[in-house]
Amino acid sequence: MKVTVRAFAHLRDILGKELEIELPEGETIRGLLAALGESHGGFQEALFDGPGQLKPLNNILKNGRNIDFLDQLETQIGDGDVIALFPPAAGG
Amino acid sequence: MGEKENRNGLNGRYSRQIPILGVEGQEKIRQARVLIAGAGGLGSVIALYLAAAGIGFIRLVDHDRVDSSNLNRQILHWSGDINQPKTASAEKKLLALNPQISLEIDSGTIDESSVSVFAGDVDLIVDAMDNFPTRYLLNRAAVARRIPFFHGAVRGFYGQAATILPGRTACLRCIFPEGPPAETSPIVGATCGVIGSIQATEVIKYLSGKGTPLGKLLFWDGLHGEMDGIDISRNPSCIDCGPFAVGGEGT
Repeated sequence: MKVTVRAFAHLRDILGKELEIELPEGETIRGLLAALGESHGGFQEALFDGPGQLKPLNNILKNGRNIDFLDQLETQIGDGDVIALFPPAAGG
Repeated sequence: MGEKENRNGLNGRYSRQIPILGVEGQEKIRQARVLIAGAGGLGSVIALYLAAAGIGFIRLVDHDRVDSSNLNRQILHWSGDINQPKTASAEKKLLALNPQISLEIDSGTIDESSVSVFAGDVDLIVDAMDNFPTRYLLNRAAVARRIPFFHGAVRGFYGQAATILPGRTACLRCIFPEGPPAETSPIVGATCGVIGSIQATEVIKYLSGKGTPLGKLLFWDGLHGEMDGIDISRNPSCIDCGPFAVGGEGT
């Protein structure tokens, strides 16, 4: 299956603005991030504090829904899904 | 023609926007009551444009004093205002810009107990805060009163904005379940101009009934000169706007 990944702010410098990635059926967000980590140097460090520990700076949306409200890193991905990765700004 | 004769602005102050907003739209703006939470980088831009547009009543809340480190972006505050309360500094400029508006300034702090007072009698809330905990209070107050909440935030060359319409769109908590850690954000002043102007545009559109509200999370990437819309959707179990929201005010 194919999914689209959209990256914002400093994550764009690592992944590019948008990419399509081929994944096995039933893959999870965790698997997607691992695949991106293997193909893109610096991605793992930008996203995680430690093994499986997402940095609080990063938000991951699957088709507009924050994965915090789904199954977090175990959220399943389907063909055609759009995954957005971005660090929200907080200043005013 | 003096200010009084120009109150409806057909020949004066509002003459360049009435052809777009209509006399009715301008009148709706004049009758509107708006809370701007924060008089910093975003709040400066938002307050200037909303005052200039003729918003009838603006309540501007900020508990800080002007510091020299504010001056690269907080364009309501100038070198001579250092150490003054931001609200006092803002009041001078805003009323000089448009003496027709009613401006209420408050140097109080927006917290759990005060938020409902600040938000209690306004038609909408504009987010010009510098931290997520206060944004969540404002978001919850907007949901409770079912009034729009115009979110904006900035960092460096990046910024984001969203128009939150309780009961219709995702709320701030649906989009960001947790805010990023507190920090002193590095910021290029002009980024506040971009995001604050988008927020002010959304407010003017909403009040005058023009256009369609921003339906996505808008992300501004000043480094690449690009703006993108990120799809957002409501979280049915959101603790702020879902059916089980604290206080039973979910929509």
